[in-house]
Amino acid sequence: MSWALVWLVAFAVALASFVLISLAIAVRGIGEIRELFAALEEERRRKSS
Amino acid sequence: VSPAAIVSRFSLLDAAIAAASLGVTLWIGVRVKRYVGTIEDYLVASRGMGLYVGAASLLSTEVGIITYMYQAQFGFVAGFSAFVVGLITLAVCLAVGRTGFVITRLREMRILTVPEYFEKRYGRGVRVLAGVLMAFGGSLNLGIFPIIEARFLAIVTGIPARYLGWTMAGLLLVALAYTAIGGMVSLIVTNYVQYVFLAAGTVVVTLVCLREVGWGGMVRAVDAHMGGHGFNPVQDLGVGFIVWQVLLWIALMTVWQSVAMRTFSTKDPGVGKKMFTLTGFLFLGRALIPMVWGIAALAFFWGRAEPVATPGGTPAAQVEQLAASVNATYRGDLDSGRLGRALPQVDLLERLAGQEKSRSPEAARPEPARLEASARDRRGEIGLVAMPWMLAATLPTGLLGVVVAGMLAASISTYAGYFLSWAAVIAQDVVSPLLSGGTSVGPVPRKAAELTGPSASSTSPGGASHADAPLSNPSRLLLTRVTVVALTVFIMIWSLVYDLPGPAYFYLQVTANLFMAPTLIAVVGGLYWRRSSATGAALCFVLGALASLGYLVPWLKLDVATAGNLSWALAVAGFVLGSLLVPPAARGQEAAA
Repeated sequence: MSWALVWLVAFAVALASFVLISLAIAVRGIGEIRELFAALEEERRRKSS
Repeated sequence: VSPAAIVSRFSLLDAAIAAASLGVTLWIGVRVKRYVGTIEDYLVASRGMGLYVGAASLLSTEVGIITYMYQAQFGFVAGFSAFVVGLITLAVCLAVGRTGFVITRLREMRILTVPEYFEKRYGRGVRVLAGVLMAFGGSLNLGIFPIIEARFLAIVTGIPARYLGWTMAGLLLVALAYTAIGGMVSLIVTNYVQYVFLAAGTVVVTLVCLREVGWGGMVRAVDAHMGGHGFNPVQDLGVGFIVWQVLLWIALMTVWQSVAMRTFSTKDPGVGKKMFTLTGFLFLGRALIPMVWGIAALAFFWGRAEPVATPGGTPAAQVEQLAASVNATYRGDLDSGRLGRALPQVDLLERLAGQEKSRSPEAARPEPARLEASARDRRGEIGLVAMPWMLAATLPTGLLGVVVAGMLAASISTYAGYFLSWAAVIAQDVVSPLLSGGTSVGPVPRKAAELTGPSASSTSPGGASHADAPLSNPSRLLLTRVTVVALTVFIMIWSLVYDLPGPAYFYLQVTANLFMAPTLIAVVGGLYWRRSSATGAALCFVLGALASLGYLVPWLKLDVATAGNLSWALAVAGFVLGSLLVPPAARGQEAAA
């Protein structure tokens, strides 16, 4: 296998995984941020009470 | 063949898109202020970060305009051989994610900064020494970001040079505002939004590169214009460079403060490990995608190359005439995007000067060697601006705004992440321990450290090292916020006065290596080697830093890989020798000394 082909495969993997993982982050990230806010709010209430 | 200057099509619509993205980021960043009450909220978001948000935050912080520029530059000068760095990054991330090497132990200790571990393991002196070196190297590293990023923005948006300083100051102030107010909580939320902009901009630029040049065009350009190089990384970059990169990336993924803070912020060590596995592939893209942009820019401008008239006369006279011709037009060409003229001229000068140098000993006639080196540096400088000039030449109105919004998001998230990281080190590991006096100069008792780890002292937020600090929680919060502001001022000044000695990629890695090698060695030694001592750790930091500084001192003429590997070798030697000569059993003697 030539170097050019190795680098083509590497780039294809890099681009495809970047796009797919970015989509997963965009979709799943919102829920995680809500969870983080809820946890911080809960912590704040616990400390103030 | 077009000698015409490139003029960006950046319009009011593009400016509105970019400004809106900045406004949204600032608004979100400032709104989360109410969630920050303690130093632990501020620095590690109460350790509540999930997997996907963590991956977004990690990548947003580690990708700025400067990252894309130096990776593109690396692709431009080294061709596809540069890809090996991306593969190394992926391999390191997967290995760290799979094994939890270093990160799991550090996360379990519930510390806030990496040097905090050194106080628990070696004593306060090592913590402060490590903190000083990290603050120094980290600030130098961050210090060249604005000036390089300003060049990108000037080229792509066409902002006149006289407004650039204000533009960069504005960007730094946006990052400063929400970082100082909301700390890590702001960062996590804004990083998520910024990641979406960043990813969109990245995909757009990649598609433009593939449309303009195509993969085949890139391969042909590297084949034709790199003198037989550009494909085989071992032959082009050398084994020494590859070994240094492996070591450096292990350190970056485990103990680089901004990365480590993401590990410390995760919900639990398991999430931390998964985060590294997921981001391994994102880090592969972080390297390879902009490297492809650089190679595309190489092909783009060679495709527009003007023929260079070979001067007549003897070979020595040819070199002199060509050098004079390059000097007359080079700077103007670089500033107006006429790289189709500058690139072939510099390429021919480098080749002719190289041939002339090989005809006579360098000592007898140093001029050809100087001209060859100068042409090589200029090729690197062209490589730094080629990608943004290609974007300015090819992106239509509308898409320019999307790309600039993505790049601004990348840039501001990086500033914000680094402000918080280095400010945390300066405030928590240098100023705070010094203010708290010398009551805790020794490490935690050996047995306690081994059996339970420093997590045994983690009942107070941030670990036991804070228990003896005289500063109250609000004072430490204020100190960190003030440090963020001071750091911003320093960075603006440094970026204006410092002149880079070589490619940005090497400068960034060497300044990082000032403390990366010693930090990883002292952490790994502390975690996994019973005999490691404070003397060994201190020697490790001093020797490792001195070796790296060699690259920044021009008369030493150390190349980047040599300086990098020397730093690792000396840091290991200092650590082992110091630990063997003054072992932990003689700790009392160490303290007395």
